[in-house]
Amino acid sequence: MQTLLEMVGICKSFPGVRALDKMSFDLFEGEVHALVGENGAGKSTLMKILSGLYLADEGEIRLRGKKIVVTGIRQMIDAGISVIYQELNLIQHLSVAENIFLGREPRYAGGFINWKKMYADVDRLLKPFNVDIDPRAKILSIGPAFQQVVEIAKALSLKADIIVMDEPTAPLTGNEVERLFEMINALKKSGVSIIYISHRLEELARVADRVTIIRDGSMIVTKPLSELNTEEIIRHMVGRHLSEQYPVAEIPVGAEVLRVEALTKKGVCSDVSFSVRKGEIVGFTGLVGAGRTEIMQLIYGYLKRDSGKVFIDGKETTIRNPRDAVLKGIGLIPEERKKQGLVLGLSVFDNSALTILDKFSRFGLLRMKTIGDLVRGMVAKMEIKTPTIRQQVRYLSGGNQQKVVLSKWFVRNCKVYIFDEPTRGIDVGAKVEIYKLMQNLALQGAAVIMVSSELLEIMNMSDRIEVVFSGRIVKEFKKGEASSEDVMEYALGLHSRAS
Amino acid sequence: MKKVLILLTMVLVLLPANIFAQKQIVIGMTVPGLQFPFFVTMKAEADAAAAKLGVKLLFIDAENSSDKQMAAIESFVAQKVDGILISPMTTDSLVPAIEAAVKAGIPVATVDRKANTNVVLIHVGADNVEGGRAAARYIVDKLKNKGGVIELEGTPGSSAAVDRKKGFDEVMKKSGVKILVSQTAEFDRAKGQSVMENLMQVYPKFDAVFGANDEMIIGAIEAMSGANIDLKTKVTIGFDATTDALSYMAEGKLGATIDQFPGKQAGQALQALFDKIKNKKNPAKNVTYINPLPVTK
Amino acid sequence: MKFNLRNTLKNYGIVIAFLIICALLAFMSPVFFTLNNMILVIRQTSIYGIMAVGMTFVILTGGIDLSVGSILALSGAICAGMLKSGMPLPLVLALTMAVGLGCGLFNGLVITVGRITPFVVSLGMMSIARGITLIYTKGYPISGFQPEFRFIGGGYVFGVPVPIIIFLGIVLIAFVVLTQTRLGRYTYAIGGNEETVKLSGINAGFFKSLAYVIAGLTASISALISTSRLNSGGPQAGIGYELDVIAAVVIGGTSLNGGRGSIWGTFVGALMIGVINNGMNLLGISSYFQLVVKGFIIIGAVLLDRLREQAD
Repeated sequence: MQTLLEMVGICKSFPGVRALDKMSFDLFEGEVHALVGENGAGKSTLMKILSGLYLADEGEIRLRGKKIVVTGIRQMIDAGISVIYQELNLIQHLSVAENIFLGREPRYAGGFINWKKMYADVDRLLKPFNVDIDPRAKILSIGPAFQQVVEIAKALSLKADIIVMDEPTAPLTGNEVERLFEMINALKKSGVSIIYISHRLEELARVADRVTIIRDGSMIVTKPLSELNTEEIIRHMVGRHLSEQYPVAEIPVGAEVLRVEALTKKGVCSDVSFSVRKGEIVGFTGLVGAGRTEIMQLIYGYLKRDSGKVFIDGKETTIRNPRDAVLKGIGLIPEERKKQGLVLGLSVFDNSALTILDKFSRFGLLRMKTIGDLVRGMVAKMEIKTPTIRQQVRYLSGGNQQKVVLSKWFVRNCKVYIFDEPTRGIDVGAKVEIYKLMQNLALQGAAVIMVSSELLEIMNMSDRIEVVFSGRIVKEFKKGEASSEDVMEYALGLHSRAS
Repeated sequence: MKKVLILLTMVLVLLPANIFAQKQIVIGMTVPGLQFPFFVTMKAEADAAAAKLGVKLLFIDAENSSDKQMAAIESFVAQKVDGILISPMTTDSLVPAIEAAVKAGIPVATVDRKANTNVVLIHVGADNVEGGRAAARYIVDKLKNKGGVIELEGTPGSSAAVDRKKGFDEVMKKSGVKILVSQTAEFDRAKGQSVMENLMQVYPKFDAVFGANDEMIIGAIEAMSGANIDLKTKVTIGFDATTDALSYMAEGKLGATIDQFPGKQAGQALQALFDKIKNKKNPAKNVTYINPLPVTK
Repeated sequence: MKFNLRNTLKNYGIVIAFLIICALLAFMSPVFFTLNNMILVIRQTSIYGIMAVGMTFVILTGGIDLSVGSILALSGAICAGMLKSGMPLPLVLALTMAVGLGCGLFNGLVITVGRITPFVVSLGMMSIARGITLIYTKGYPISGFQPEFRFIGGGYVFGVPVPIIIFLGIVLIAFVVLTQTRLGRYTYAIGGNEETVKLSGINAGFFKSLAYVIAGLTASISALISTSRLNSGGPQAGIGYELDVIAAVVIGGTSLNGGRGSIWGTFVGALMIGVINNGMNLLGISSYFQLVVKGFIIIGAVLLDRLREQAD
């Protein structure tokens, strides 16, 4: 195989951080090369350098053996490199065709857009993938899987021969993932090379030819996938043995803390009842869109419920908004970390202190020293990696950002913690730390709810599992009572009557 | 629902005009802005003149916008008023609207500010250039043709500011009095004060101040009082003869102000419109200037 | 810490630009760098500088308030009316500030409870307040006050003009509020990400409204100074001030997207505008040219800020 792309000795620093340190990477023609590493290892930075978004401090990029002097994004696109970001870069209110040809619309001589040609071109681009997408449909009306296809089509229309996919399966369901893999194989056959970034190690076996593992901004190993097993990959990623990916703890269960009765909101969920006791971790699982997140937001007062009651410590309470919920001792770690959990432009200190400012003021003035000590203690205890607590959280890695969200609630000492997808987009090492933190909370007598799509996580971490399907709790399992297959069957609605 | 409401409002607005149209002469009046005391006076005297003539006056404030004034004229035409009295925002921007009104058979009279068209029935105005000259002559006379003057200009680009400055500078150039500095204070009292404070430091030996309107000269006087300058040793003159300026004069703080007789202007224009509508009589001259004069008491 | 030109420019760019402009003016006009002129500039700056402090709160939440100029006119006119009627001074001061507070509260509530964008609400309030001012004054300025009132705008304490003392006092209070109180920290957080703030169990609407209340209050404090300085309250007061005020805040490095900025930046930004106005007067620069210079300075300041953001 021919070497298509080489990145050699790439260095890149940001204020206070050395993101890449003599990183090297290469890509053969027509291969799928997986790039794996913990969050903050430098994958995104490397790809941003490849896309021309960042300029490297040192090192060089060679394409087909020729060195290129990077000037910007435009140049790299022209060179045939397309990046499909995790947060897709599509314009919601424009059509599929307009998105694909944005800025390059086929035009008549008079300057008017040649719609006919544009739609025909889209059909031609999409044909190999055997998908049914209307080029006239607006992006917001098609699902995430199709949106990804649109991104790929756009890359192909740009004559890309290198496509970077950043966590492409994150928003997809099982079926859609299969379709994506088929598409990737089709692309490979047509001679396109793919750099595939993912946290889901089990996927790699399905698509990747070679794997490069990156840690702390440097290349650790590049090998054909067949020469590595999952254990080894994880070991290279974290640089240590992960003997206990799911920590085990014996936690005594106490009195009931939270009880929800017949929680109902039209079109969202109906008749949801469950309870959580002291020291217990209750897992909520189900398909994306089953209503798990919404149930939590209803309890938390962020959505308005139609009916249903919430009891805390056995007493019925009114929760009309998040403020009420927090005052009653509930903390919510939301699914969308950046949009709902953090103020990215503020510091670690400001974010962590957000929930406790009302507790620490004297004559209207904040007791900055007390708050500072508390936050500093929490940052140390949680091992949040940040140069100072004055650092803006936008510069932290995903795992550390999530820890900041957690510390924001831990400093307040809640009775009930609701974790919504606490480990999404977080690397293996940080995951384990978050599991341990969760168990620690339970040990200290908190009641914990964990919403998650990752079955293994649910199976291993929950004392009880509530399976949600179509807005209802369809099954409750105790720990060790069921296999993952059992849980999956309920989550897929196989045991529910058609409603 | 919304449409019905809008319709209802429109009917309510239009109704009285139409009812009275049969018996009473209705004249639409619009001026650049009632935030300027000059136009407040103009309107007050127009109201009085209208009452005397038995004319009904519909009034719309243009709120310092040509577009709003254009809409005002269009609504007058739609309401089929008998005549329109306007002090246009600028010389050119209202011309199309005025011509359309005249085409619809509605006589139009302009007051104070001219419109660049010959279709108007009459223009009654005070010549701002002449007013500027009058102010300059007052200062030259008071200073016995020597000394230095600080000039405060109006809002950059507005016709009143340009014309007043033109007349003032013209006379000054030929005189023995020197213009020390000329700066804008945008016809604003607070700015008049700040600008004067600044200028007094560079030109401490000024003898006179000219404010292109009364607001600015009053601001300047407040600045001088604040700096403990004896106002009696300085010659000061404003423009517009507002009530405030007259009371400053009565207190001996302000020397003089140029009166353009806005009320008299409006009254004369209204009379001309009335004669045309009622008696089909055209005015003798289609431009009448009221001579602006310095008033000192 | 090692001296780093890039970092210095990044953090103090606006201060450096300000000092350069001051140095240029001092070079070109012998009057500029005199104590008397410095005091004048700060006194002149105080009126919109105080409003800029209030505006900083609003812009930090990611909002905007276009009505401050009109609120100044309304508070000033009502203040003048009350003074003329012979009402006791303390009552006049309290009620004038209540007018500004009320207007701000109206803005804040409509924005948060009614969920209408700040631009639209304050645009409406701009018109409403101006209209009420005209109705109240019938279009004429109101004057004729008891002499004690002049102290606010024209008095001195230990040789320092009272408006300057009020201005500096308010800047100082605002600094403490922004850095040391819940209101201040929440103001930044709301501008950064309102949803996160709500989900953290904070009544974001309440604190957001307070920003507009502060803006209204500062406008009425400026109204007191302006009315006292001019010895009259007029319907034309404060026209177009909102633009100078917003410019001061933006020049000071506060992001119009909210969440980032400081009161010291605003302080320097306000002084910058004051110094430019003063300097151009001193140099006798033509009024047409002044508009061009001001425009370039506003754009230049924001450009500087953009560079700073990119460097981050």
